[in-house]
Amino acid sequence: MRLRDDVAKVLISEETLQARVAEIGRELNATYTDEDRPLLVAVLKGAFVFLADLTRHLEMRHEVNFMEISSYGTGTKSSGVVRILLDLEQNIEGRHVLIVEDIVDSGRTLEYITRNLQTRRPTSLRVCTLLSKPSRREVGVTVDFVGFEVPDEFVVGYGLDFAEEYRNLPFIGVLKEKVYAGQ
Amino acid sequence: MNTIIPNAIERVLLDEETIAVRVHELAVQISTDYVKSDNLVLIGVLKGAFIFMADLARCLTVPHHVDFIALSSYNRGTVSTGAVRLIMDTRASVTGRHLLIVEDILDTGYTLDYLLRTFRARNPASLRTCVLISKPDRRQVEVPVDYLGFEIPNEWVVGYGLDYSDRFRTLPYIGVLKREMYK
Repeated sequence: MRLRDDVAKVLISEETLQARVAEIGRELNATYTDEDRPLLVAVLKGAFVFLADLTRHLEMRHEVNFMEISSYGTGTKSSGVVRILLDLEQNIEGRHVLIVEDIVDSGRTLEYITRNLQTRRPTSLRVCTLLSKPSRREVGVTVDFVGFEVPDEFVVGYGLDFAEEYRNLPFIGVLKEKVYAGQ
Repeated sequence: MNTIIPNAIERVLLDEETIAVRVHELAVQISTDYVKSDNLVLIGVLKGAFIFMADLARCLTVPHHVDFIALSSYNRGTVSTGAVRLIMDTRASVTGRHLLIVEDILDTGYTLDYLLRTFRARNPASLRTCVLISKPDRRQVEVPVDYLGFEIPNEWVVGYGLDYSDRFRTLPYIGVLKREMYK
C-alpha cells in the first residue's frame, strides 16, 4: 500500500496502541460513575479513531459529542483563537466534560477550547489526549489523561493526517521527510 | 473491550467479531472498486457513523480522505419526515471527487435520499453509499445502497454508534433494546 511506503518507521504499533487505549478506558472507568454521566467531546477530525476505540471500553453511562474547529489563518496562531464550525448540541452547564484530543502540540488550541468550554460552567472539565509532544508546548495546559508522550517528529496515523492522508493507518508512524519536505 | 451487557439490552444481535469480519469484507470490496480512483472521499454522517467510519477506514487499502457532516431533523421525535438540516457541511469541496457516504443505519431512507440529492447537485465524479445496518421493513423511499453490512428486522438496536437518546452508543456490539425502554 502506497501510504505505508511513506512511513519511515512505526513509532507506536497497533498492538501497543490498543493496549494503552484499553488502559485509559480503565482509568476513565475508575474516574467517572454512572451518575456523573460524562460528556466526551471529541475535536474533529483527528480524534475520531481514538474516540471510537476508547469509548468502546467505557463502562459508565456517558455521552459523545463533537466539535469541529478551524483556525482563522494568519495572525491568530499566538492567541490560539479558533473558529467553531460545529458546536456542542447540549448545554454543558453542570455536566462533567472530557475533551478527547488526538494530539497536544503547542497547546494553544486546547487552551482556547478549554477556556471556551469553562465559560459554560461545567461541573468538571478534563482533557484526554492520545499523544502529547511536550517539547512543542508553548502554553501551560493541564492534560489529565495522556496515551503517549512522543518526540517532535512528523507523526501520522490513527486519526492524525498529513494533507488529509494517512489518517487510517492503524498505527502511529513517522512520515518520511521527503513526503513533507517543501510543504 | 467492554463486554458488560446493560440491563436495558434484551439480546446481542451482532457481536463484535461478526461486525469486525463484515466491516473488513466491505473494506476489501471498496478497496477493490476504488483501486483506480485516486480521489475517494468518505463522508461520515455524525454522530452515529463515527465508530463504523473508524473501523472501515482502517481496513481500506486505497488512499482516501475522510470528512464528516452533521445533520439535525427539523422536528424532534423518532419518526423521520425527510427534511433535514445540514448543520455542518464537508470541510472540503466535493466537486469532481468520488464520494462514498458512510451511514450507520438506513431506516425510512429519507435522510440518505436527501443526502444523495444534496451531494449529486455538487457534481461529484461518482456518488455511492455504504451503510452498516439496514431495516428494509421501515423503508419509505427507495435509496440505492452500494455497500451494505447487515439487514436486520425492525427492532430498536443500539451500540456501535447507534443510540437511544444518546445512550448505549458506544457499546462494542449491536444489541436489541428492551421494549420497555422506549414504550
